[in-house]
Amino acid sequence: MKSDFKRIIEKWIPQNTKVLDLGCGDGGLLKHLKDSKNVNGFGIEIDISKANECLRRNIPVMQCDIDEGIKEFNDLDFDITIMANSIQCLKNPNLALQNILNISNKCIVTLPNFAHWSCRLDLFFGKMPVTKNLPVPWYETKNIHLCTIKDFEELCNNLDLYVVEKLYLNNNFKESTLTKLFPNLFAAEGVYLIERN
Amino acid sequence: MIVETKKILIDSKLKCASGEALESFELMTDFYGELNEKKDNAVLVCHAFSGSHHAAGKRDGNIGWWDEFIGPDKTIDTDRFFVISVNNLGSCFGSSGPLSKDKNGERFNSNFPQLEVIDWVESQKMLADKLGIKKWHLVIGGSLGGMQSLQWAVSYPKMVRKVGILAAAAKTSSQNIALNEVEREVIRKDSDFHEGKYLEFNKSPVKGLKAARMLGHITYLSAKNMDLRFGRKLQNTNSKIAEDVDFEIENYLQYKGGKFAESFDANSYILLTKVMDKFDIAHGYDDSLEAALENITAEVLVVSFTSDWMFPTSNGKKICLASIKANKKCSYIELEGEHGHDSFLYPNEYYQIAIKNFIESK
Repeated sequence: MKSDFKRIIEKWIPQNTKVLDLGCGDGGLLKHLKDSKNVNGFGIEIDISKANECLRRNIPVMQCDIDEGIKEFNDLDFDITIMANSIQCLKNPNLALQNILNISNKCIVTLPNFAHWSCRLDLFFGKMPVTKNLPVPWYETKNIHLCTIKDFEELCNNLDLYVVEKLYLNNNFKESTLTKLFPNLFAAEGVYLIERN
Repeated sequence: MIVETKKILIDSKLKCASGEALESFELMTDFYGELNEKKDNAVLVCHAFSGSHHAAGKRDGNIGWWDEFIGPDKTIDTDRFFVISVNNLGSCFGSSGPLSKDKNGERFNSNFPQLEVIDWVESQKMLADKLGIKKWHLVIGGSLGGMQSLQWAVSYPKMVRKVGILAAAAKTSSQNIALNEVEREVIRKDSDFHEGKYLEFNKSPVKGLKAARMLGHITYLSAKNMDLRFGRKLQNTNSKIAEDVDFEIENYLQYKGGKFAESFDANSYILLTKVMDKFDIAHGYDDSLEAALENITAEVLVVSFTSDWMFPTSNGKKICLASIKANKKCSYIELEGEHGHDSFLYPNEYYQIAIKNFIESK
């Protein structure tokens, strides 16, 4: 499942590029890209245990808050930035998106779709959604700015960002006829390759 | 663990950055573990301002300053790595310094050449040559020792595989220098100082040295840690160091300062604080940290502590960001550290795992 996701991201990332992974977790993705694409990767991760895992894998990591990190990275030069499943955890996702495109020309964003039918169903029954890719209850979640696929694409439009490519994935990280036809209802996850217009 | 302490004579001239020179010099050095056949498992551990070569193990009732980090199965595993710890030139624990004698047999006192961090690196490079070590697996240290590690990676990029910079900065701040100057002034104004020639008068400016250390000690701790440890607790009358002491913190500083003044040399104190003040890795590179780091080939780990107000975390971040900008492989770990600046000395699970993972990763 996760490996499908890696494959998608891998497709969009050229060989030998300098990649910044915001919220890189244990460095698994960067390690994979290093081995498969000889990528010069760098991660930002707030969780010390995960940052220590990056060190174990020999993936350079800066242990800090993404919100803060992005500001400080302003004049650094990366080819591409990845923000996998973390935009919804940021204080100002809109500012972050713009800042990211100062750091690198391209940016890959993945996000959980809050309008997925399973979320709608939970809400219909009066409960905050707890789903396969939003497994944490509302009182413990780090997701403070959840959005839908429609919302996110609207934001990109408002910020004058160009979506070069996008994929709508179901719960198994696969595209299907349904996710393609009705993404906002059937995609559990949106994956975007974005550039400045 | 095999432990050896040796005073090693380097019988060649050391040209110092100041223009002065030492015809020959001695380095008091500790060795832990064994150098392998390929001679590629050597680790250089650099001590902080008032530290010594004694980094691990118990000796004469004293435990080494990084004992929890160096040993079999410890953070730096001496079953794998050969650890070398050198007492810095200019210090007073056996290496050449103000207490040593010059070629005419006269004690240097305050006339020992004023050193810079880069001179320590040069002296240790000469030691490495003598030992046949062509490349350090790791050079690591905290505070002034971290600055020294950084200098190693910049001065001899091909000789350093990994570098660990702990609770340090790329340069000392104006505040650092200011505090150091107060400490020096207190020593100089001790009536027993005799312009640094106190030993000729069979004296030592222990009062000044004690007060200097008391101030220094405060800068190594955090306000929070002091509050937790001492708060506003009053000192028990029976165990008062001095009569006019009221609070426990006063007593603690009096005790620590006094003990320090018995074992440290005042001229060394002045010299070493000046070494610290002078440090600015970007000096000579148009003040560009990025340019200074340009030649580094080592993988870099920077660790800063949020409770450290001597070298606040922004210093560590700056080194890391400049490294990334210069396309270097650099990691930055930020921990609270309970002990202020001194946190780098204390064991902590995350801290030790970070260092261990960094050292052992391939």
